[in-house]
Amino acid sequence: MILLEPHNVIIQTTILEKLQKPGSLDVVFVDYDNVRFHLSTPERKTQLLLSMNIRCWDELVQYGALDVLRREYGSLLASKVEPEYNVSLEIDLEQAPSDPEAREAFVESLALLKRNALSAPFERGFETQKQLESSGGQGELMQVHYRDEEAMYIQAAPDRVTVIFSTVFREETDRIFGKVFLQEFVDARRQPSIQNAPQVLYSSRDPPLEIRHVPGLRNSEEIGYVTFVLFPRHFTKSVAPATISHIQLFRDYLHYHIKCSKAYMHSRMRYRVTEFQKVLNRAKTEVATTERKTASGRTMVSR
Amino acid sequence: MNLQHSVMSNVLRPYLAAVRSTLTAALTLENFSSQVVERHNKPEVEAGTSKEVLLNPLTISRNENERVFIEPSINSIRLSIKIKQADEIERILCNKFTRFMMQRAESFIVLRRKPVPGYDISFLITNTHTETMLKHKIVDFIIQFMEEVDKEISEMKLSLNARARIVAESYLTAIQG
Amino acid sequence: MDNSFRKIDIDIYDEDALRDDELYETDPRDPAEVLQDAKQRQGAVRGFLAKNDIPGALTVILENAPYGANVEEAKIITLQSLLTILNTTKATEITGVVKLLSQDTQDTLMKYIYKGMAMPGWGDISGSVLLGWHEKLTEVAGVGCIVRTMTDRRIV
Repeated sequence: MILLEPHNVIIQTTILEKLQKPGSLDVVFVDYDNVRFHLSTPERKTQLLLSMNIRCWDELVQYGALDVLRREYGSLLASKVEPEYNVSLEIDLEQAPSDPEAREAFVESLALLKRNALSAPFERGFETQKQLESSGGQGELMQVHYRDEEAMYIQAAPDRVTVIFSTVFREETDRIFGKVFLQEFVDARRQPSIQNAPQVLYSSRDPPLEIRHVPGLRNSEEIGYVTFVLFPRHFTKSVAPATISHIQLFRDYLHYHIKCSKAYMHSRMRYRVTEFQKVLNRAKTEVATTERKTASGRTMVSR
Repeated sequence: MNLQHSVMSNVLRPYLAAVRSTLTAALTLENFSSQVVERHNKPEVEAGTSKEVLLNPLTISRNENERVFIEPSINSIRLSIKIKQADEIERILCNKFTRFMMQRAESFIVLRRKPVPGYDISFLITNTHTETMLKHKIVDFIIQFMEEVDKEISEMKLSLNARARIVAESYLTAIQG
Repeated sequence: MDNSFRKIDIDIYDEDALRDDELYETDPRDPAEVLQDAKQRQGAVRGFLAKNDIPGALTVILENAPYGANVEEAKIITLQSLLTILNTTKATEITGVVKLLSQDTQDTLMKYIYKGMAMPGWGDISGSVLLGWHEKLTEVAGVGCIVRTMTDRRIV
């Protein structure tokens, strides 16, 4: 699996299972970026309650998340939100579509709850760009602090929408590996086959011009900024949903692959070190090892 | 890859040959009790308390960034390696690799847990080792380690770059509209 | 309680303690004399090189080469001259040259090769030239030559 999937697999599999065979349920689970979900049957077995807690909820609401969710989920959107969560969906399993395909699509859309909530600022950015085409000027700089120290910034201009990610590399290895990856993002567009991809810019330490005025940005070695420049061809009606799904997962995608690389290096090192061990063992002469004891009865070990 | 490797080892050969002969010369160890502390028997190269049993340390170098330091003594020798690190990536990979190995020093009986300052990895070979192990095979081990560690680091770097390229291209292909 | 007395190096008051200069016979010559001598040899080396007599040049610079303490400058001059000789010798001629040297001269040459390798990046030092000489010298003089470099306290 190279690309990350935008939907939550636990929501998908659990609800599909419960549609087959309803049963009481109470599970709490997480998704990327410390998003928490609670899936339960508070009243009866066919009445599911799916709640989500997301760090940047207030910001998302400000950029129209409720409208997006109302459009996607309609009457499922619970009027009373479960305590400690930001948004709840009430799902009546008896009302779910019976046609298998429609049923799959229904469950899939439930599993996209996080993705849909996070798509609000993107949708607004894309709309704003359309308006600015005739009026000119700059759209509002939308800030989404979806992790404690990392955020994304979205701003529309008359001809483009700029999306900026700030990301933290906790360890030196992450920072250096991250640099290698981001350099490839910058260079990849030289390939003829992906010339039309959005332009990617990368800067470590210094925030890009667009967000330099934002208060509270840290200037440190471990922070990197990645800018995507999206042109209208990247968010036409047909491709916008896919673009939104991928872009909002960029940070997780990057860090996921950094971790994969580290795991791969580790397995290589483990293999190589075992090989070295074999070479060294070949040097050992066959000596009959009899256990030697000290006067107090402890075993003597020689290194 | 094979061609590249054979070219590389041709360049490395005189360096490794010098390490091999110097290490062989140094591995003439004998059992020797401490002259300072009664009933103690410790690696004199580590104890450093009696200068008459320490021999002249020797350096073998290809350049400033690749060198081996051999410190002989009557009952033990210390061999330290500075591994080539051309850039930041090689530095971090080298660091990871040597640390990974040193954490397993217990099973690499001749490996020191910490490198001598200025070097990336150190080995401590004592008379006990040369008595229970074949001397020329210990030398083989060190030489093979030096050969492979360079190769391993450059291969890891290549694989990191290759992965980064695929990751970037797959992602950008998915959003090119 | 004052325990700084524990840090005092008492060994320096020990009359039996071994000093560096007791481990080998010191050069009876005066440091100034040694330096003068090294400079003279440097000139002589140029003469031999002009005649393309590599063994002659090596012998003149390596015989009675400066060793021990207080003659750093003479050692550096000697190393410089030696590097000139090593760098100007064709790789194919090294084995022949080395065979013509006496055992003592071979041993001293080995000492200087190691001295050069311990100072990478200094002056005209080229790792590959020194490694090339090291390899040929070891082939001719054997590992014993390296052992003698390790054990001889008369450090160059």
